[in-house]
Amino acid sequence: MSWMSSKEYTNTISYKLSSLSDTKRHGYKVSVKNLNSWFGSKQALKDINFDVKENTVTALIGPSGCGKTTLIRCLNRMNEMTSSAIVKGSVYLDDIDIYASNVDPVIIKRRMGMVFQKPNPFPTMSIYDNVAAGLKLNGIRNKALIREIVEESLKGSVLWDEVKDELGRPGLSLSGGQQQRLCIARALAMQPEVLLMDEPTSALDPIASAKIEELMNELRKELTVIIVTHNMQQAARVSDYTAFMYLGELVEYGPTKQIFENPQKELTERYISGKFG
Amino acid sequence: MTRLLDLGIDRIRNSIMDMAKLSEKSVTTAIESYEKGTSTKKVIFEWSEQLRVLQDEVGDLAIELIARYQPVATDLRFIRSCMEIAYGFSRFGRYAYDIVDVLETMGSIADCDKNAVLEMSCTVREMIRISVQALQSKDKNAAEKLYQMDDTVDALYRKYLREAITPHEKTDKRSFDPRCYISALLILRYLERISDHACYIGDSVHYIVTGTSSPRR
Amino acid sequence: MNNTENHHHNIDHRKVIQDAIVRRSYKRKIVNRVFTGVTIVCVMLAMIPLGSILFEVVKNGISAISIEFLTQPQGSIIRGGGGVGPAIQGTLLTVGYASLIGVPIGILAGVYLSEYAGNSKFAYTVRFFNSVMTGMPSIVIGIVGYIVLVITIGSFNITAGAVALSIIMIPIVVAVTEETLKLVPNSVREAAHSLGIPKWKVTLFITLRSAKNGVLTGIVLAVSRVAGETAPLIMTILGTSLFFQGFISPVDALPLRIWRFASQPYEHAHSFGWGAALVLIIMILSLSVLLRFLVLERGFKQGSLVKM
Repeated sequence: MSWMSSKEYTNTISYKLSSLSDTKRHGYKVSVKNLNSWFGSKQALKDINFDVKENTVTALIGPSGCGKTTLIRCLNRMNEMTSSAIVKGSVYLDDIDIYASNVDPVIIKRRMGMVFQKPNPFPTMSIYDNVAAGLKLNGIRNKALIREIVEESLKGSVLWDEVKDELGRPGLSLSGGQQQRLCIARALAMQPEVLLMDEPTSALDPIASAKIEELMNELRKELTVIIVTHNMQQAARVSDYTAFMYLGELVEYGPTKQIFENPQKELTERYISGKFG
Repeated sequence: MTRLLDLGIDRIRNSIMDMAKLSEKSVTTAIESYEKGTSTKKVIFEWSEQLRVLQDEVGDLAIELIARYQPVATDLRFIRSCMEIAYGFSRFGRYAYDIVDVLETMGSIADCDKNAVLEMSCTVREMIRISVQALQSKDKNAAEKLYQMDDTVDALYRKYLREAITPHEKTDKRSFDPRCYISALLILRYLERISDHACYIGDSVHYIVTGTSSPRR
Repeated sequence: MNNTENHHHNIDHRKVIQDAIVRRSYKRKIVNRVFTGVTIVCVMLAMIPLGSILFEVVKNGISAISIEFLTQPQGSIIRGGGGVGPAIQGTLLTVGYASLIGVPIGILAGVYLSEYAGNSKFAYTVRFFNSVMTGMPSIVIGIVGYIVLVITIGSFNITAGAVALSIIMIPIVVAVTEETLKLVPNSVREAAHSLGIPKWKVTLFITLRSAKNGVLTGIVLAVSRVAGETAPLIMTILGTSLFFQGFISPVDALPLRIWRFASQPYEHAHSFGWGAALVLIIMILSLSVLLRFLVLERGFKQGSLVKM
C-alpha cells in the first residue's frame, strides 16, 4: 500500500464500502428487476429479471410478438412514447433506477443510445448534421469539438472512410447499410454507456449485416451492447449472453455458447433448432 | 413439416448404424478367426476399407449440414458426436484388421492357450454391443457402465502383461513358443484399444443427451 | 395428407384461372383502352378552362403592361393613364402582413394538433372547427373584420385586411401542417428522442424540419388563396388610389382594382383590368415557382421525406 497516497487509499476504501453496500446489482451495467409491461390490458412483459455485465453483447431472441422489442424499449424508457404503454418494476443503469420518480427520462436516453430496425437518418440533414444533431440540440456550441466528435463517431461506426469527402451529402443518399452505420455514429456521438439495438440488420443485405456485426464486436470494448434480433445465427455470432423470450416471459438467459449448444429448457431448444415459431 | 436438417440427420444416422453393424461384424469375425484359425484377412480388409469410406461420408455430410443449416443444441451435438463416433467405428474395423494381420504373420498358433484373449474378447464384444445400443436408445448412463467394463479390460491386459514378463517356473506349451505370447499380447492390446473407443462412443452419447462431457473423460 | 390428390387439386385450380384469363383477355384490352381514353378526355376538359383563362388574360392584359402601369398610381378615371402601383404594393403588403400573423399561428396550431394533442376531445373539436373555418365564406370573414377592426379604429385600414386574410389562411396552414407532420415517420421522432433531445427541440428542429417542404407548400397554397381574395378586402381595406399611408389607413389591392376597373364603362379601364389580372397571376405563379426552386434546388432532393 505504500505507493498509494493516503487520499487514493481512502478513495479505494470508500469505493469498496460503497460497492459492498450495493450488493444488489454489484458489477452489472444494466439490471432488470421484476419488470412488467402492458399495452392497454394486454400484458407484454411478465416479471422479467436479468443482469447485463459491462462491455458485453447481450442478444434478445424469440418469436415475433414475444416482447423482446418491448423489453429493449423499456430499457431506455422509449416505450413511454407509446401512449397506452404501462411499466411496473425497475431497470437499473449502474445504481440508478431509471423508473424512479426523480429520474429524468431525457438524461437516461443520453446515457443509453438506441439504433432502430430501419435505418432512420434525419431526412433533411446532411451526413455531418445527422451525427452532430444530438450534440447541437443538447446545447454543445464548440464547433471544433463537434467536428472532432463527428469524425470520431463516424470512425467508430466504420463509415468515415466511405463518407469523409462528402459529409455535406444528404444522409438519405447513402445505401441502407451505410445509413444504419450513420445511425450508429449518431448514437455514438452522444458517448452512450449502453447501446440498444432493435433488430439493426433486419433491413440490410448480408454484407451490410456482417459489417454491423463486426462493428458490434468492436463497440463492446467501449460500451455495453444489447441487441434484439430475429436472426438466431446472428445472436450466436455476435453475443456473449443470450436471452430467449417467449410470450412475454424470459424463458432462458445465459452464456451464448450454452444457449446454443446446450440449452437447459426444452422450449429454448425447440425454438433455436427451428422446431416451432 | 419435416425440417430440412432432419433429412440430413437421418442420413447421418443411417450411415452411423451401417458402420456400427459392419464394425461389430469385423471384430467378431476377427476374434473367431483367432479362435478357430480361419483365414479372414481379405474380407476384413475390405470391411475396414468400407468403414473408412463411410467415416469420410459421415464427416462430409456433417460438415455440409453445419454449413447449410447452422444446427444448434441437440442437433449440433449429435452432428459433432457423429464425427467422433464414426471415427470410433472405423478404428474398430482397423483393429479387427490388425488382429487378423497378426494371425497371418504368426502362422499357426492352434496349440496356444487362447483363454486370456477369449475372456477379454467377450467383454469387449459386449462393450461394442452396449455402445451401439446406447447410441440407438440415447442412453446417457451407458458411458458409466462402459468405463467399469474398461477397468476390467485394462486390469486383464495388465495382468497378462505382467505374466508374460515374469520368469516361468511351470513349463507349459506357452513358455516354449514365443508366438503364443506375442500374438496374445498384441491382440489383447488391440482389444484394449477397442474397449477405449467403445468408452469414447459412450462419452459421445452422454454428450449428445446432456450437453456436458461425462465426468471420467 | 394425400399428396397425389392435393396435386390434382392444384392443377384444376390453375386450369380454371388460366381459362378465365384467356377468355377475358380480349375484353380486357378494350376496357383498358376505353378507360385510358376517358382519363385523357377528362384531363383535356380540366385543362381547357385553365388554358383559355390564361390565354385570354395574357392576350388582353399584355398590352397594358408598362413601367408606368406597374409603378404609378391611377390617372384620370375618364381619360385613363397612370397604373396600378398602389394596388401591387397594397397586395404585397396586405398579404405579407397577413402571412406574418397567420403563418406562425397556423404552423404552431398544426404542430399542437399533430404532436401534442393526440386524440383528445379538445383536438377533435379544434380539427372540426378548423375544417368548418376552411369552408367559411370570405365575405363573412370580411364583415367580422369590418365590425371588429374597422369600426373600432374608425377607418378602413390595412391591419383589418391583414387580420381578415390571416383568418382565411390559418385553417389552411393548420390542416396542411398537421397532415404533413403526420407523414413524418415516427421512427424519425424516436431517433431524436433516443439522443436525449428534449421534446420541444425534437418537434421544432427535427420533426418540423423534416416536414419543411410540405409546410412550405401549404403556406404558398394559403398565400395564393388570399392574394386573390376580394370580398373581405372590400369590407376592410376598401381600396384607394394612394400608396401605403400607414397601418391604420386604407390601402389598395389588385383584386379590388380589377373589380373596380371591370365595373367601369371605359375601354381603357377594361384593358387596365386585364393588365392587373395578368400581374396578379404572375405574382402568384412566381411564388409557386420560387417554392419549387427553394424546395427542389436548395433543399435535398432525396432528403425531403414529405413531397407535395
